[in-house]
Formats: sequence, structure tokens, C-alpha cells
Amino acid sequence: MSSTKYKSLGDPEIISLCLKGDPQAWEALILRYRRLIYSIPVRFSFSAADCSDVFQAVCLRLIEHLGELKDDTKVSSWLITTTTRQCIHVRAQKHRESSTDDEFDEPADPGHSVEEIRIQSQEQQNVREAVDQLPDRCRQLVEMLYFDTRNPSYELIAQTMQMPVASVGPTRARCLEKLRAVLRRQGIR
Amino acid sequence: MQHISTEDLVDYMDGRVSDEGKLAIEHHLSKCSDCAELNAEIRLLVIRLQEDTTFEPPAELVQWGVSLFQPLLQPSTGGKLRKLIATLVFDTFDRPVLAGVRRVGAPPRQLLFRAGDVDVDVRIESMEANDRITLVGQVLSTTAKFFDNTPVKLESHGVVRYRTMTNLVGEFSFDEVPKDTYHLSVDLPEGQITLFCVHRGNS
Repeated sequence: MSSTKYKSLGDPEIISLCLKGDPQAWEALILRYRRLIYSIPVRFSFSAADCSDVFQAVCLRLIEHLGELKDDTKVSSWLITTTTRQCIHVRAQKHRESSTDDEFDEPADPGHSVEEIRIQSQEQQNVREAVDQLPDRCRQLVEMLYFDTRNPSYELIAQTMQMPVASVGPTRARCLEKLRAVLRRQGIR
Repeated sequence: MQHISTEDLVDYMDGRVSDEGKLAIEHHLSKCSDCAELNAEIRLLVIRLQEDTTFEPPAELVQWGVSLFQPLLQPSTGGKLRKLIATLVFDTFDRPVLAGVRRVGAPPRQLLFRAGDVDVDVRIESMEANDRITLVGQVLSTTAKFFDNTPVKLESHGVVRYRTMTNLVGEFSFDEVPKDTYHLSVDLPEGQITLFCVHRGNS
């Protein structure tokens, strides 16, 4: 099966393939959710090393719990909860390591900001999933404009997409309209 | 009233409009609630899209996640070593610090992993002076037998860094190894037990 095919599969299908021993399905699952998982420790303002630790721990938990998630259509919610808990755990550990007997430290941050992180992570994930639902050409344009870390110029985008440079702006506007429509259909604004 | 197109709004957000055009758009937005709402929505959407790249994990980390599948989920075939994942059942880091107890430096960390009827007890002592750790442990069975002369490996970044063998009572030791993220594996006749992230690089 090609990687594009995996991209179009829903979570239950991908997890089912993972459980049958398909390594490409697992790769597709990790690629699908890599930014969601990594975004949460980043939002907690963790160091790069701590973000990596959280990412690794969550990948391990995901693989351990695949059997329980096979009928779950909302793996993203499970990942947000699991990653947030892991971040709280790491933060508590750091707090313990840095505190001394001579200090009377306040406990780690109360839940308010954690809830905000959960909401922001979910909203961001909704946008990612909406991008995946765009027609291929629109998805490709949005990915080049916003997700490509090389920051390609309009000229390069036009060349890759085989369209006049002057069409990039209007096409982008149409694609953003479509993206907005996908989110609205899901009740997300 | 002529509303502003999404294209013009996106150009306005990007600063691709003339000063005159900018003033006209701002004037319209101050009067038209529909366009102001569209502007706010598109702006938030663009911000969400733009900031997504800041959440891209390093490629080697993603590769690490992808490579987990091999030892953990692939069904074992005849002749191949069976792989078992050990789960952490006890960690002193999860226990509260005793009130009133004074200490110097980080206390040793004690972990207990379990895979089937095999327990692996690990104690990690951190040496702040030279940024190294000593990792000692014992492979135990719930039955009376000891796992003597058993290979134990310490792996980091996909490479086996250190090897040792257990003694008569199943004990092993890795003395003063550099701090890093390590996976520990024990080769038993029943299969290979892997303890993922037995130590993390910065802890």
C-alpha cells in the first residue's frame, strides 16, 4: 500500500493494520500525530530534551495501548490527554528535583493553563485534520505555503504547482475559504 | 456595501496591499461586522497554519518513534528471538519525598520493570561531579531460579553501547557510563526483554 493510501485511512483502519503487524501503518500513525504530540510539551515551555522525553514516552504508551484504541475514532483526544498527563508528570519531577528543604515552594502551576493547552492543542489538530480533507491541489498548496519549513517563494510554489505566479494568491484565498468551510461543517469556527 | 474579498484580506494580513488599500480595508473593517468577523476568522486560521511548523519534532525523534514498531509489534517468526516489552511497575521518582529528610545531591533512583514472570530491578545513581551514572540491577524470576550468565546490553540512539553478563544471582552493573537516554535489554532463553528509556538523557 502506498503512503498516500495510508494518509487517506481513518484511525481505526490504521490501528487495525498496525495490530496485524504492518510497519508502514505505524509509520503513518506516528507521522499523522507527530506534531500534535510534540506541540504539547512545547506549549508547556519544556526544553528540547524534555520535549523529546515526552514524545518518546507517549509513543511507547501509544504502542502499548493500540489494542484498546482500535475502535476509537478520536485517537487525537486520547493523545492530548496522555501527553498532557506526561507533561504534568515531568513538570512535577523537575519541581521535586529543583526544590530544596530550605524552600517553601508553591506546587507546580494550577490546572488553568493546562486546560488552555489542551484546548489549543485540540484546535490546532482540528485545523490539521481539516487540511487533510481538502482537495489534493488545495492541500498541496496549503502545505507548501504554511507547513514547508524551507519557506518556498511564490515563484517556486507556482513552478511546483504548474500555475502562473499571479494565480497563487487567488488560489490560496479559495483554499482558505474551503478550509474554513470544512471547519464550519464540523461545527468548528 | 461592497464586502472585502478573502483574497484582499489575506493580502492585507501579509502586508501586500498599498498604503491606500490598507486604509480602505481598515476603514471598511471598522464599519462592517461581517467583514470584521471574516477577517478575525481567517487571521486565526492563518496563525494556526503558520505556527504548526514550530511543533515539528526533530527528524531523528520521529524516526525513533517509527522504529519502535520493529521490536514491539512485529509478530515473531520461527527461529527469531521473541521480543518482550517490560512495563515499569515501580519508580521511586513517583513517590513523595519524606518530609523533613535532608539530603545532598540527587538520591539514587530505583525502578522495577516486569515482563511476564520476570522482574528486572534497576538502581541508578547519578554522579553530578562527572556527569555520569552507575546503573546496577538484578534479573529476578517469580520462580526460584536465578538468571546467571545472561547477556545484558545498554543501548542508546539505536546502538549497543555497553554489554555485560549477570553474575550467579542475576546481578549486573554498568559503572560510570555517560548520561544519555538508554534502553536496557536482557537476553533470556525465553526471549529478549527490553526496558525502554531506563534512563533519560537529562534526568
